Amino acid sequence: MTALVELRDVSVDYAGHGGSVSAVQNVSLTLGENETFGLVGESGCGKTTLSMALMGLLPSSARVTGQLLFRGQDLLAMSEAERRQQRGDELSMVFQDPATSLDPTFGIGYQVAETVRAHRRVSRGESKARALALLREVGIPAAESRYADPPHRLSGGMRQRVVIAAALANDPSLLLADEPTTALDVTIQAQVLDLLAELQRKHGTTILLIAHDLGVVAQICDRVGVMYAGQLVEVAPVVELFAAPRHPYTRALLEALPSRGRRGRSLRVIGGQVPDLSDPPSGCRFADRCPHRMDVCATVPPLVDSDSRRRIACWLDPATRATAGLPPLPAAPTPDAPIAVGPS
Amino acid sequence: MNARLSYALRRLILTAPVLIATSIFVFLLIRLVPGDPVRSMLGIRATPENIATVRSELGLDHPLPQQYWDWIWGVLHGNLGHDFISHEKITSLLKVSLPVTLELTVLAMLLAVGVGVPVGVLVAARTGWTRKVSGGFVIGAISIPDFWLGLMLVLVFTGLLNVLPPSGWVPFTQNPVQNLRYMILPVVTLATGQTAYILRTTRAAMLGTLSEPYIAFLRAKGLRERSIVYVHALRNASGPIITVTGIQFGVLLGGAIVIENLFALPGVGRLIVTAISERNYVVVQAGVLTVACLFIVVNLLTDIVHGLLDPRVEEAVSS
Amino acid sequence: MSTHPAAEVGATARAPRRRLRTRLGGREGLAGWTIVFILIAVAILAPVLAPHSPEAIDGNRILAAPTATHPFGSDDLGRDVLSRVLYAYRVSLGIAVGSVLLAMAVGLPIGVFAGYVGGWTDLVLMRLIDLLLSFPALLLAISLIAILGPGSLVALLAIAIIYIPIMARVVRSSVLVVRGQAYVRGARARGASHLSIVRGHVLPNAIGPALVQASVLMAFAIVIEAALSFLGLGSQPPTPELGLMLADGNNYLTQAPWVEIFPGLGIAISVLAFNLIGDGLRRSFDPNGITR
Repeated sequence: MTALVELRDVSVDYAGHGGSVSAVQNVSLTLGENETFGLVGESGCGKTTLSMALMGLLPSSARVTGQLLFRGQDLLAMSEAERRQQRGDELSMVFQDPATSLDPTFGIGYQVAETVRAHRRVSRGESKARALALLREVGIPAAESRYADPPHRLSGGMRQRVVIAAALANDPSLLLADEPTTALDVTIQAQVLDLLAELQRKHGTTILLIAHDLGVVAQICDRVGVMYAGQLVEVAPVVELFAAPRHPYTRALLEALPSRGRRGRSLRVIGGQVPDLSDPPSGCRFADRCPHRMDVCATVPPLVDSDSRRRIACWLDPATRATAGLPPLPAAPTPDAPIAVGPS
Repeated sequence: MNARLSYALRRLILTAPVLIATSIFVFLLIRLVPGDPVRSMLGIRATPENIATVRSELGLDHPLPQQYWDWIWGVLHGNLGHDFISHEKITSLLKVSLPVTLELTVLAMLLAVGVGVPVGVLVAARTGWTRKVSGGFVIGAISIPDFWLGLMLVLVFTGLLNVLPPSGWVPFTQNPVQNLRYMILPVVTLATGQTAYILRTTRAAMLGTLSEPYIAFLRAKGLRERSIVYVHALRNASGPIITVTGIQFGVLLGGAIVIENLFALPGVGRLIVTAISERNYVVVQAGVLTVACLFIVVNLLTDIVHGLLDPRVEEAVSS
Repeated sequence: MSTHPAAEVGATARAPRRRLRTRLGGREGLAGWTIVFILIAVAILAPVLAPHSPEAIDGNRILAAPTATHPFGSDDLGRDVLSRVLYAYRVSLGIAVGSVLLAMAVGLPIGVFAGYVGGWTDLVLMRLIDLLLSFPALLLAISLIAILGPGSLVALLAIAIIYIPIMARVVRSSVLVVRGQAYVRGARARGASHLSIVRGHVLPNAIGPALVQASVLMAFAIVIEAALSFLGLGSQPPTPELGLMLADGNNYLTQAPWVEIFPGLGIAISVLAFNLIGDGLRRSFDPNGITR
């Protein structure tokens, strides 16, 4: 797997009125070519901040440290003009709510075509032809006659297809999809996910799918990263994560999910509250809510390779313990019940 | 495009009742004057014959509905009657004065929009001293009465610097340069307050628009900041800007009445005020009708432009 | 709506002074109120404060420049400009307050009625109001004066008439907002009478935007009244009135600018004060922008 994106110790802090808020802390992550990677976590866990950092669209109050490498080049070292040229071309993004993602005063076709024109020296006619082809590709029926329609004449699902078409207009290598189906009806959600999966197969785009819904991730992702309160706590292939979650937070997250294998049992709720990120705990941020809390949890557990395909940041894990010279725990706690794999 | 055409037509039809109501009000203007309007209009020339002539020309002996019908029929055929003082046809009076008022108001509006919109856009993205300066200008310009501003401008540009004429007018067709020289002070006077309103509206509308999610998506598409601000954000913010510009045109027309008198410009406003002091009701009536119709037309145009720029408007009207 | 009873209870009791300041419109509003109170005091105490009689003609001081005893100079009849400005605030503020109060007295009930009853009543009333608003304000005032003849009281009446539709519209908009609130529906469900709902819930909540509008209209009233007098259509000589003074001095503008500068400043300061109050109140009362 060749790396397309590599994050090294990325932290994002927002300067606020009374001090700063640590939204993302020391996240390291590698995304390969042709990969669909899911990033999950509760709202406010920093997944959107991380994607906006990749796009270079954070507000001026945000301070980003670490390295954001894209094809080996550090995005943070690039000028704003270079980053703009990259946006919508090499890197693209789809936002959560299609109702507000499109300019209400312009026709949908124009909004796809202008993305082409922003990055390619093409005539109006050429960009229009390209936009029409894209609209057809994402499944807008009668694209020709809908080209000039303003967004409000389209349904939510159709609008999200237009947004996807605009994002993919220049064949980006990386597509960031921030909760692309959250604002849609359940039936439409599946269609949009299928579309994303199909486009991924066809164009070989790397997709970073941000979601709070594990079911969505399970449907189309190859690997999953779990974030909690700004820290990346576990990375694993999707099947393995669902089969055997290793981080206590991942486990808790899966237990909060209704699924076939656990029918008839009540869903678990994670006790406690997300820490205040303007004054975060110094160690593992999940420690306060963790049933296995130990003294060592006051130190941030590094994210390390647990085996060849999985990474974890938890002092329960032998690999993490080894970094601090700690011996493996006598009996590593296992999930208390097998968990069904796949979409619920 | 069809939807937009039908929106424009619907808006046009909605104008009809306003026009009718305006015409009724203007028609009643003379009839509501306490006492005998003809007698007070003619003053010392109120001989029995004169009174009889005027009464019959105005049709005051007929029942009101017929009077209205006769009057509006004449108006629609370009016949506004005669000025009983100068004996001129009122249409020929308006032919001279209307272009003056139009030149004054249109130039003032162009200046106000030409300064207010770009400055409002620039200020919207900034904080700190730019915001303070523009805020100070806005409240100051709104608070200074335009006719006093005009007087102060005359004091400076005529009294102190002696670079511009204090008042007067020549037709544009006769001497364009001189005409514009006469127009500078009145136009600036009239435009200052309007600039403030348009600047304030533009700034507020742009601030609202720039925080919309679709602006973030435009950035994510890699568009230049310039086209995001001037093509997308400005078009979305144009609704309130156009609406306020339309409303302000009414204020501008009112202001023109005062400014024309201050700078001795022979426009409709001056015609009306002079006519009021001479109790020349027929001329007052014609002048008021002209200005009111002008305002209605401007309102109509603003609504249509708004509808063309924002496709959501047509939907809102039809539902 | 900051006047909603629940918001009242929730508001912090620890900073009543700060709350009062916010209610008056913050720092800006406070500055405006201060100026207005001073101007009202000036108007009331004009006979005490004025160094000279506003009507005393002095043949030796025709268009005389400002001196220690006549700080604003003298006009074309040798009258003391300062004394005339002080007295003129009686007319300016009197007409402004009078016209706005009159407009509120008529417009408020119309707006409450239209907004609360809704349906056809609302539709018909609003169409009528739109008709009035489709006339440029100053033109409407001038037309009314053309009918009734010039004078201070006519100016007051004319300004009030152009303000009624504006007032009614603002009140109606806020009533529409309040009417849909759960606590009004709740009161209705409890069987409260319409009158008590209007008095207890609708009016207190509609009054905020109406007051914001009133202060802005007050500012305009001062300008309109001065403009009308300037045109010879408002107050008549020899009344000490700011617009009239500007019209009188117009002929001696370069010769005796003080005759023009000080009355104009007098108008600008009072207008500024009401605009400051309006802006401040808008910020604290009407964040949704019902008043434009």
